[in-house]
Amino acid sequence: MTKMDFLERYGQEDEPYVCASCGNCTLVCPVFRELKWESYGPRGKLHIVKSIIEGEGEFGEDFAHKIFLCNLCEHCTSVCTTGISLDRFWEVARAEVRQRGLMPKPAQFVLDSLKARGDIMWMGSADRLLWMEDIEAIVKDRVMKSAKVAYFLGCNVSLKSQLHDVARSMVKIMEYAEVDYTILGDKEICCGAPLGWAGNFEGINEMAEKNLELIHSLGVETVVFSCPSCIQTWSEYSRYLKEENDLELLTTSQYINRLVREGRLKFDEQPMVTVTYHDSCISARVLKVTEEPREIIEDIPGVYNVEMTPSRQSTRCCGAHGLLDVVDPVLSSRIAEMRLRDATVTPASRIITECPRCILAFDLAKFTTGYDMKVQDITQIVAESLSPNDVGGDEAK
Amino acid sequence: MKVDEIRIGDIVGADNVSTTHETCMIYSKDVTSLPDMAYQIISPKFDVVTQPVDVPSLQNLVWYALDNNIPLVPRGNGTSGWGGSIPTRGGICVDLSSMSRILYFNEFEQAITVEPGITWRDLLAFLGRLGFTLPVYPSSATAATVGGFVASGGLGIGSTRHGNILKQVLGIEAILPNGKIVRLGKVMLDPKSDTLQEKIEEGNSWLSQELTAAGLGTPEQESKLITGTYGTLGIITKVTLKTIPNLQLVPFACSFYSMTDLVNVATKIISEAQPYYLRFLADNYTSKLRVLKGHELEEGKYVLTGALLDTIYQNEDNIERIQVITKEENGTTLDDKRAWFYWDERLYPLRIKRHGPSLVPAEMLAPLEMLPDILDETKAELQKSKVAIEGTLSNDGSSSFMVWILDDERKKISFTIGWQRSFQIAALAEKFGGLPYAVGLWNGRHAKKFYGDHTYKELKIMKKRLDPNNLMNPVKVFGGRVTAGRISTTFGFLVGFIIALMGGGFVPSLLGWEWLTQLMNSSLIQAFPVPLLLLVSFVGGFAGIAAIRLMTLNQALSIGIPLLRVLSKILRK
Repeated sequence: MTKMDFLERYGQEDEPYVCASCGNCTLVCPVFRELKWESYGPRGKLHIVKSIIEGEGEFGEDFAHKIFLCNLCEHCTSVCTTGISLDRFWEVARAEVRQRGLMPKPAQFVLDSLKARGDIMWMGSADRLLWMEDIEAIVKDRVMKSAKVAYFLGCNVSLKSQLHDVARSMVKIMEYAEVDYTILGDKEICCGAPLGWAGNFEGINEMAEKNLELIHSLGVETVVFSCPSCIQTWSEYSRYLKEENDLELLTTSQYINRLVREGRLKFDEQPMVTVTYHDSCISARVLKVTEEPREIIEDIPGVYNVEMTPSRQSTRCCGAHGLLDVVDPVLSSRIAEMRLRDATVTPASRIITECPRCILAFDLAKFTTGYDMKVQDITQIVAESLSPNDVGGDEAK
Repeated sequence: MKVDEIRIGDIVGADNVSTTHETCMIYSKDVTSLPDMAYQIISPKFDVVTQPVDVPSLQNLVWYALDNNIPLVPRGNGTSGWGGSIPTRGGICVDLSSMSRILYFNEFEQAITVEPGITWRDLLAFLGRLGFTLPVYPSSATAATVGGFVASGGLGIGSTRHGNILKQVLGIEAILPNGKIVRLGKVMLDPKSDTLQEKIEEGNSWLSQELTAAGLGTPEQESKLITGTYGTLGIITKVTLKTIPNLQLVPFACSFYSMTDLVNVATKIISEAQPYYLRFLADNYTSKLRVLKGHELEEGKYVLTGALLDTIYQNEDNIERIQVITKEENGTTLDDKRAWFYWDERLYPLRIKRHGPSLVPAEMLAPLEMLPDILDETKAELQKSKVAIEGTLSNDGSSSFMVWILDDERKKISFTIGWQRSFQIAALAEKFGGLPYAVGLWNGRHAKKFYGDHTYKELKIMKKRLDPNNLMNPVKVFGGRVTAGRISTTFGFLVGFIIALMGGGFVPSLLGWEWLTQLMNSSLIQAFPVPLLLLVSFVGGFAGIAAIRLMTLNQALSIGIPLLRVLSKILRK
C-alpha cells in the first residue's frame, strides 16, 4: 500500500474524506473545463487520493503529472462547500511529488533556476536592470535608497521584455505623484512563490526573507507589487511578516487608487476607449482586490469598463498560474484562449489586468487565436492617461 | 465485462470515451460514501465511461449496448445520494454533461428547452439575464444537471410555491432502451433547427402502439415514464421546463426555541403568504454550522428561512404578516442581513459534512404537521449518532426531512454497521405516514408505495415492454439481481456448506435415522474414499453461491439490514 503519511504531516488527512463530492470545484476548474474528464478536476483527484489511501491506487508518475496539471487559481477553494483549502492541498501533494522524485522536468528546471540564479528563467541579477533602459537617469538614484515606499517588480516584470513597460509605467506614475520610493534593482530576487508551486515550502521563507531584509533596512513602510502572487506568498510564508506586522503590502491598483483618491494623479480625456477588466485569480480571490482597479478606470475620462462574465471573485484563470505554463504550455494556452473568448464577446477593444502572468498568457492566446485585442497592465493605461500639464508629467518617460 | 473501447470510440468520438481505472472509478461515485460491504451486492465500477455530445451518437451507443447486452447508466454530475447514477452491473456510464446547450426560449410561452447536461446554475444565469427564473430548482443547483434532477424528481428551491420539479416539466425527449427516440408531453423547439423530426415521428408512433397495448394514454400524456424514474425507461436528451418572471425576491428568516412553534409559523406562512421557498434547520443542524458561532439567536435554535418572490406591494404586506405570526409563536424575526445569509446558504446544505468527515444521508417525505414528532423520534433512534437535520417545505402539506448522519468511513467496521441507519429512517418515515424521499437504487423496496400502486404497475409493464433485458440503468427502481462480490460469494458458499453439513450430519442422528447416518459416512466410490456427507456439504456450498447470485438487491437488503441492526445493538453503535 502506498504510504500517504505526508497528509498527516501537513494536517490534511481529513480533507479527502471531508469532500462532499458536490462537484462545485470541478465545474469551475479551468483544467477540467478544457480536458473534460473528472480525473483532472479537483473532485476526481480527491477520489484518486482516497483510492491511494485505501490501497487501490498508486502514487505514481501519472498521478504526479495530474497534480501538476492545475493552475492553483484558488477557484476550487473559493467554491468548496465544506471549506477545504484545496489549493493548499495540491501544494502539499506537489511537495510529496517532489519528495518521491516524480517532479515534471519543467517544474524541476524552475526549482534549479531559483536555486542557482534567484529567478525562474535561468537569467541572473544583472538582467534585472534591463527594464531601466531609457529611464536610467530617473531610476538610478532610486535603487536601494531609503524611502517609505518600495516597488517590488517580481521576476516576470523585471526579466521579460514584453513586461518592461509595466515597470516603466509604474515608475512614471510614482514620479508623477512625487512618491518617495525605492526599488531593489539587481538586489531583488524571486519572492519564493514558484517554490511553493513546485512543492518546496522550506525555501520560500528564505527567499522572502532575503528581500524583506533589504526592504526593512531601507525603512520602507509600504511595498507595492506588480505581481499579486508575491503578496500572497509573503503573507502566507514569511515568518518576519507574521511576527512584525508593520509592513503594508499592496497591489499596484490598490496603491494607484490611493494616489488617485489623494488627488495626486490627474488624467487627460482619452479618445473613447472601451476596456474590460480581467481580475487575476490571486488579486480577486485571495487579496479581494476587485474594486480598486475598476474605480481607477472609472476615473479616467473617456475610458469605459464593460464587465466580462464571469468576473470579480468568480473570474476565470488565464491558464498561466501555478507553473502550468511551464509544465503543459499547450494546455495553459488553451485555457488562456477560453478566457480571451470571454473578453472578445464584450464590446471592449482592450483587456486590462494587474498580473504579469495574465498579460503573457493573453498575448500568447492572441497569437494562437488571431483575436485582435490589446492587453495592458493597469499601470500602463494609467501612465498613458496622465495629464501632461501637471508637475512631474511626462518627464518620467 | 469486455467492452470494445475502439468501437465505442467510433460511435461517440475517440476523445469521448475512457476505460482507465481512475476514470471508471470516479464516475462510479455519487455524493454518498458507501461501505465496502455495499460492493458485495453491486459492482464497484463501470467498465467504460462515455461522453456523447449529440442525440444521434447517443442513439448509436444505445444500439451498441443493446446488441452486446451491456448495461447503460445515464449520469449528470453525480450530485445525488440515492445511487441513481452508480453502476450495479458495470457496463457503460453515459455522462451527459457534454450535452448542455440551451435550444429554445420563448418568453411569451414562458418555456425553455435545454439539453440534459446543462447545470441549473448556468440555466438560472441565462434566464436571470433575461428577467426570468425557474419555478423550482434543486439545492444542488451549483453543479446538478437539469437531466439529473428531472430523472430523479423531488423538492427544491421554489417547491413551497410550485411543488415538485416534475410539475415544471412541460415536455421531454428521450432515447428508449431499444434506441427509439420519443417525445413525451410538449417539447418546444424551433422547427427549423429540429433535425430529428423523422426519427421522432417513427419513435412516437411505435410508442403509441406500445402504450395503447399496455392500456396507457398517448405519448403526450405519459411523460411520467421518463421523469422521476432514474433513466430506467430511457435516457433524457431534451427537457422543456416552465419559466417564471424574476420578480422582487425578499428573503426572510426567523428563529424558534421549539420545532412545534416553527411548524405552526410555517403552516400559517404557507397559507397566508404563499412563499416561494421555505426551509427549516433543526437545532442539531444550527449548532454545527461554524458560521453561526456567536449568533445567539440562531446557534442551536430552530431556524425557519425562506423567500417571497412577488411584486413589491405583495412582499411588503407579507413580510409584515410573517413578523406578526412569528411573534405570536414566541419566535424572533432575524434582520435582512441574516435573511440574505440563509438565502445564500440554500445551495450549500452539505457544509455540515465537515463534522463527519463522512455522511450517510437519509431523507423522507413527511406530513408537515408530523415534523415535531418525527424529529423527536429520529433524535431518540439516533441518539448515539451525530446527526444534523434540515428540510424543505412544500405547499401541499408535505415536507422533505433530511437527516445527515455524520460518521467516519475510515472506521470500516463501525461505518458498515452504521450504514443501516439510513434505512432505519426510511422505516421511521413509514411509521408516520411518510415515504422515503427518493427511490433510486437503495429504496427500491418502497417503490410501489412511492409511485402509488397503479402507477408503479404501469411503469413495470412498460419496463418489461421497453427493456426486456433490463439493460437501462438496471436494478434501480424496479430491483434486480445483485452483482455478487468475492466476500458475498464466499459467504454464500460457507452458509450453504454449513447448512448441508449440519443437515447431513446431525439431523439423521437426531431423528434416529441410522441408515442415513451410515450412508452419509460411507464413500460412494471405493477408489475415491470421501464421505458422502462432505460431498453433500460441497453441493450445499455451491447451492449457497447460486442463491446469492440469484438473490435480488431488495432481498439482500432485507436480510442484510436487520443483520446490521442486530450487530449495531450488540455493539451499542
